[in-house]
Amino acid sequence: MTASPADLRARAEAASAGLPALMLSAERLAASLTAGLHGKRRAGMGEDFWQYRPAAPGDTARSIDWRRSARSDGQFVRDREAEMAQSAVIWVSSAAGMEFSGGPDRPSKRARTDLLALALGMALLEGGERVALAGQPPRPGRLQAERIADALVRREVLTRDDDAPASDILRPGQRLIMIDDFLGDPAPMLDFLDRAAAAGVQGAALQVLDPDEEGFPYGGAVLFRSASGALSHDTRDASGLREAYLARLADRRASLSRAALNAGWHFGTHDTGAPPAQALLWLWSVLEG
Amino acid sequence: MLVLGPLGFLTPWLLAALAALPVIWLILRVMPPSPKVLRFPGTRLLIGLKDPQPVARHTPWWLLLLRVLAIAALILGFAGPIWKPAPEQGGQGPLLIVMDAGWAAAPDWPQRQARALRALDRTSASGQPAALLLADGHSEGALPFAPATELAAQLRAFQPAAWETRYPEDLDRLFGQTPQSGLQVLWLSDGLDHPGRTALLTNLRGRGTVTVVPPEGPRQSLQLVAGDQPSLRLRSTASGAAPDVLAIGTDPQGAARELARLTAEDAQIENGISTRAVAIDLPSELRNRITRFQLDGQDSAGAVVLADDSVRRRKVALVGDDRASEGQSLLSPLHYLRRALAPRTDLIEGGLSDVLQAAPDVIVLADLVGLPESDALTEWVDQGGLLIRFAGPRMAASEFLTEEPLLPVRLRSGGRDIGGALSWGDPRTIAPFPVDGPFGGLAIPADAMIRAQLLAEPSPELAQRTLAQLSDGTPLVTREDLGEGQVVLFHSSANAEWSNLAISGLFVQMLDRLVQTARASAAPPETEAEGDIFWTPVEVLDGFGRLSTSQDPVPVPAAEFAKGPAPGAPAGLYRSGERAIALNAGGPMREATWPGVTVEAARRAPGIDLRGWLIGLAALLFALDALGSAWLAGGPIRRGKVAA
Repeated sequence: MTASPADLRARAEAASAGLPALMLSAERLAASLTAGLHGKRRAGMGEDFWQYRPAAPGDTARSIDWRRSARSDGQFVRDREAEMAQSAVIWVSSAAGMEFSGGPDRPSKRARTDLLALALGMALLEGGERVALAGQPPRPGRLQAERIADALVRREVLTRDDDAPASDILRPGQRLIMIDDFLGDPAPMLDFLDRAAAAGVQGAALQVLDPDEEGFPYGGAVLFRSASGALSHDTRDASGLREAYLARLADRRASLSRAALNAGWHFGTHDTGAPPAQALLWLWSVLEG
Repeated sequence: MLVLGPLGFLTPWLLAALAALPVIWLILRVMPPSPKVLRFPGTRLLIGLKDPQPVARHTPWWLLLLRVLAIAALILGFAGPIWKPAPEQGGQGPLLIVMDAGWAAAPDWPQRQARALRALDRTSASGQPAALLLADGHSEGALPFAPATELAAQLRAFQPAAWETRYPEDLDRLFGQTPQSGLQVLWLSDGLDHPGRTALLTNLRGRGTVTVVPPEGPRQSLQLVAGDQPSLRLRSTASGAAPDVLAIGTDPQGAARELARLTAEDAQIENGISTRAVAIDLPSELRNRITRFQLDGQDSAGAVVLADDSVRRRKVALVGDDRASEGQSLLSPLHYLRRALAPRTDLIEGGLSDVLQAAPDVIVLADLVGLPESDALTEWVDQGGLLIRFAGPRMAASEFLTEEPLLPVRLRSGGRDIGGALSWGDPRTIAPFPVDGPFGGLAIPADAMIRAQLLAEPSPELAQRTLAQLSDGTPLVTREDLGEGQVVLFHSSANAEWSNLAISGLFVQMLDRLVQTARASAAPPETEAEGDIFWTPVEVLDGFGRLSTSQDPVPVPAAEFAKGPAPGAPAGLYRSGERAIALNAGGPMREATWPGVTVEAARRAPGIDLRGWLIGLAALLFALDALGSAWLAGGPIRRGKVAA
């Protein structure tokens, strides 16, 4: 990955330029304590007026709204609507296979993944959300976009074929966006989705694939090797394997999609041959709804 | 050789390997190209998949064709293809190969051998007998015909001789077993005419067809022109630029190397032979080191002149009293010495102490006694100088003659007059010289008379020290070795006062012989050498001009020796007694003409050899194959092309 953070940021800004401000749908997350921009439809800390209520013991004199209290005998306190910040965590895969690109006219999957992650993160930050890459504390503000871009670029590529998010990044009330090719070992991924469902974390999983991986345009004698070289498969007629491969890929997608549905997640696919805005719009709509 | 149309093959049996090409095709066909290695992240999805239908994949046909073509080109290349090979003489009779085997055949001897071997091969293929006439003068008796294969070994082992090509003289005896007709004669000529060639050619033309193979390149020879100023003569059958003459000798460290390079003068062309004079214009210090002259780039005994003492020039110092005879030069002893020695030596004159500074090879003292510098002179003789003293009236009158140092024998004081007015006897003539002495072989003029001499005291060594004596047995010339040098005394005078020896040609010859013995015991070749002298070879040249010690020295009578190099007397260095001379092979040349016979065009290309081209083509095809294979394995794959 040779792009500099500034470069990546510039491209991500271009990709996310047309998006309206994103507000996460206001699902109530009881345990979230941090204040944010989302009205919680209850009294609490916030900017907007919520209701007047009679003052109760414990209310300080300063909190009494004297203008409302003057119109009657009792003292009233002006409550504001509680506002809570939604925080989102983006996890991107660092598996060795992410460096794959089927042709010189296409970016590698990792490049596309980084772009999507940052564009999404910037859109969310624009909406006032707290965003971070997995493993970092979510923070608001434009400066966070710089940090995300920096972390994406500095991310080391693993020498393994598989990469799955650690289960300790799950925080109740957070939203998690996973971007991966989901071509590794599926078991850890399914397990993670189960845990996420148990922890009440919702989110979206986006599978980014190269057109070659989706179409399998190979033929003749080919010795296939996984990106790390750990797995290999020798065939004398690659074109004859196409049907079987595509069937297995469809199976993989079906099982992931089912698991995501069961966990309350969304599962989408994206190929690097298509413009990145499609995937971004999909993520957007999923997070909005 | 197998000839197919314009194409000939030297080793046609290799073409049988072409039959293996279909097998190679099949083997290559089932050998699959190595699979292409592809990094593919989705490999996990492929694990365990079986190929739906095991396709027998073949190498692409164009790759196969490339490989088979390359192998075919290799096979054809090694089969020795020749485009339009030189047509073979189609004769079917017995083969007679006449090889000129003198020094003139040496420069291109391997090519001659190859040509003759080729003819022998062809003859053995057709089952005809063959005979080999090596014209080196050794062949005797009837020429035997044998299967051609047996002659090849003889031909390979034979080396050219260090003398001129010699044809057998007794042709009837030579061809006693030779068929009268139908003979195929291949004559490998050295390009020169030799005695008996016309007769041999006429005889052979009567028996069959004669094909002459002329030599490659011109023949060149080098000859030493003796004389007062020895020079070299370079003869060549070509009129082009002449090669340089290398003067090879020992440097002061004793290692043999090229001392000088002599350039030939302009050529005079006569009968197709260009003759050039090469002057040996070198300082005498350098010239006296030269052991051989050699034509640059010619490996032939004829292009080598071994230098003997005749090439060298001695530095001779004349010391005597010249004053007394001023105005009467004919009476001065130095006058005769000067006239005798000047043409062949470098003369120095002066006082004894002066000439000793010049380190002469020879010092001649004419009638001098009681020398004050006798110590220095003794030392000089002891280190190898040759001191020649002449008697005279002054020596005869000396009172201290018996104590005089540096005399080979003790002299009786007072001279001896023979044939004078007051004496009884007649003037004495000179007795014949002993053949093993330095004067051996010199002819004595009948009118050489000695009228006065100094007599030696009788002693046991007198006979041994005498080099020449008078008819009455009294010594005329005596010699004694002293250290590395020698002292020679002429018992007569160096002018015409005591004898007329000084005005005879013998005096010059005797002085020459003596001077040549200085430091190196050698004498110039004397064509008039007569008598019972035998020359023994010390070092001989082979036909290529290489010098080697004579393994089997057979003495050569002087009469044979004078005729030049011959089968019994190869060119080389010869020695007789204390004289050593060189016998050189190079001499006059005459170009041979070949009327009425086929002469193979000189240097005609024997067809174009296609071997290199075909092997190069095979290499190119293999390179293309490597490129194609690499393209197949690593290049972009398009469906349906690989499984062709």
